[in-house]
Amino acid sequence: MSFVEVWNFIIGNPVLNVLVALSQLLSGNFGLAIIALTIIVRLISWPLTKRQLNSTRALQDMQPKIQELQKKYGKNQQKLQQEMMKLYKEAGVNPLGCLWPMLVQFPIWIALYQAIMRALATTPDNLLDLANRLYSWDIVNQAIPLNSKFLWLDLSQPDPYWILAIIVGGTMWVQQKMTQAPAVDPAQQSTSRMMLLMMPLMFGFLTLLFPSGLALYWAVSNIIGIITQYFFTGGWGYLKFRSPFQSTPAKGK
Amino acid sequence: MFLVIIALLPLTLVSCVPGGAQVARGWSGTAVHDGIIYVCTVDGRVVAINSSTENLEWSYSTTPVTTPSSGLSCGQASVTTAIYSIPVVDRDIVYIGTYSGQVLALNMLARSQDLTFPQRSYGEWEWDCPIDNAKSNAIVADLLVSADTIYVSSSNGRVYSLDKEFGDLNWESKVLDEKHRKLWTSPAIQGDVLYASTYDGHIYALSAATGELLDWSFASEAGFASSPVIYDDVIFLGSFDRYLYAVKIGSNISVWKFPPEKPAGNWFWASPIVNEGIVYAGCLDGKLYAIDAETGEELWQFESKDQRGKPAPIVSSPVLVGNLLIIANEAGNVYVINPETGDGERIENRENGDKPTIDAQIIASLCAHEGLVYIRGEDNRLYAVDINERKVSWDFPLAIEE
Repeated sequence: MSFVEVWNFIIGNPVLNVLVALSQLLSGNFGLAIIALTIIVRLISWPLTKRQLNSTRALQDMQPKIQELQKKYGKNQQKLQQEMMKLYKEAGVNPLGCLWPMLVQFPIWIALYQAIMRALATTPDNLLDLANRLYSWDIVNQAIPLNSKFLWLDLSQPDPYWILAIIVGGTMWVQQKMTQAPAVDPAQQSTSRMMLLMMPLMFGFLTLLFPSGLALYWAVSNIIGIITQYFFTGGWGYLKFRSPFQSTPAKGK
Repeated sequence: MFLVIIALLPLTLVSCVPGGAQVARGWSGTAVHDGIIYVCTVDGRVVAINSSTENLEWSYSTTPVTTPSSGLSCGQASVTTAIYSIPVVDRDIVYIGTYSGQVLALNMLARSQDLTFPQRSYGEWEWDCPIDNAKSNAIVADLLVSADTIYVSSSNGRVYSLDKEFGDLNWESKVLDEKHRKLWTSPAIQGDVLYASTYDGHIYALSAATGELLDWSFASEAGFASSPVIYDDVIFLGSFDRYLYAVKIGSNISVWKFPPEKPAGNWFWASPIVNEGIVYAGCLDGKLYAIDAETGEELWQFESKDQRGKPAPIVSSPVLVGNLLIIANEAGNVYVINPETGDGERIENRENGDKPTIDAQIIASLCAHEGLVYIRGEDNRLYAVDINERKVSWDFPLAIEE
């Protein structure tokens, strides 16, 4: 078996069939099927998300200590890094732990992108190709061909009104802001600020290029992420947090 | 920056991995008229080949279309026009529907004389019927040509009636399938009524003269995958729910559906053919079924295979050559079948008996003429298969030679 065949057998075709079956269960609404699949994916990846949220909460709790270290070893970056790593180790926190849920989602993104394009079958060739990928479940075959319309969107095409791009970018910024610890030194702060803007802008831009079905997945996934984050960490996290290097606004007017 | 890189990586992959692209290659079949074979190529040309001399008579390139960017691929691209409909020859004119939404009428006499086009001033002519938004008006279904009219199913969900001589619009129907819009199956005509099937599971009756919807329609739970075929006031057509339906015109209940109990292994994608009370239906599960047209009873089934011994989808309709049935499967195998018994024989590859009959996938419709079956392979070659000799007689490269 080639890599493509293995991929389709393990991930590609199962995601496609689940998506089509969900669409049939949800009155032939493919947009709702994508939303339902997003929730399922978030549930499956919950153990990893929980680990990430634990890391985020621990990092929040460690902020006073990190600031202390910053003040103490601010001029010796090497020592500062060593002490911070020591601190992370003692607290059992992996600062890169937040990356795992994102990495896990990569194959899902690819499979979902393929599934959306294959399921909607915008060309006759794609429709014929779909026949070889569907399981023999009645629920799947009765759903074909799918309706690509959802709200104002054609799920096989990018959103022409940019609304989804704004939602994807905005929700991603909020989610990142909630989890991203403020930089403790001014040099890192500008990098951090750039990162905070870069990812939402990039995904917002990609939303303009990719089928809106995939962007719908991103938007819903971000919103679920924000809600989970809010309830798990008990608030808006770093969204309300201010770096000690940021100027404090004058109190009282 | 690390995050940006790891985010970009899968998205780049997403654009590159197979399956994401919206491919429209076209799978137009062949037509034969007066010893000339007409076939549309993968690169959007209409080609005429002399069946006796096996030489190219003429070639016409359709206008390339501009496609928008997709995924991470930036900018627009100019691509050849895909052609799905079979060329239809009527007197001296070859009619073709294109994926860019045009109906072309090419005068083959003038083409063979290598004259420039259009040729209205010389009494020779051709016309096309461009529609504004090419993508949404793509023509996928075969054209239906009657005495003085061409009926065209469009991807905007409408059926059009065009004057056969000048291409003027006679009428356009209302949108038949609001949900999907795609009308990728061609209508069938009986008397002065057109019957059109839709992906939302309806058969509609339209007045051939005005395009108005008539009183009768038929509704099914699943969409219809194949074009309707009429025989003895019964419409036969395949469905996405993996059944073949027989629907009596005027009735709201199907006469029968096949198989009677469990559905078939896949869709009945190709239109069935009906001969002497027997329906021959190719299925994407790799089987050809012979069914009693009246009762829906299975008479026999024949399973076509690929070179690994697995069933291979039958995408194109079977054809009759004399008293023999000919089918081709996607794996490239061509079979000669006895329609009475269902016994089949695979035609072997010319060079290697272990290989498929032709070294390419077969998706396009077959065309039979004087004991030969003409097949356009997905390798962009035309193959002539001699049924009596049970061999590939000759083949012709359809790609442009640099």
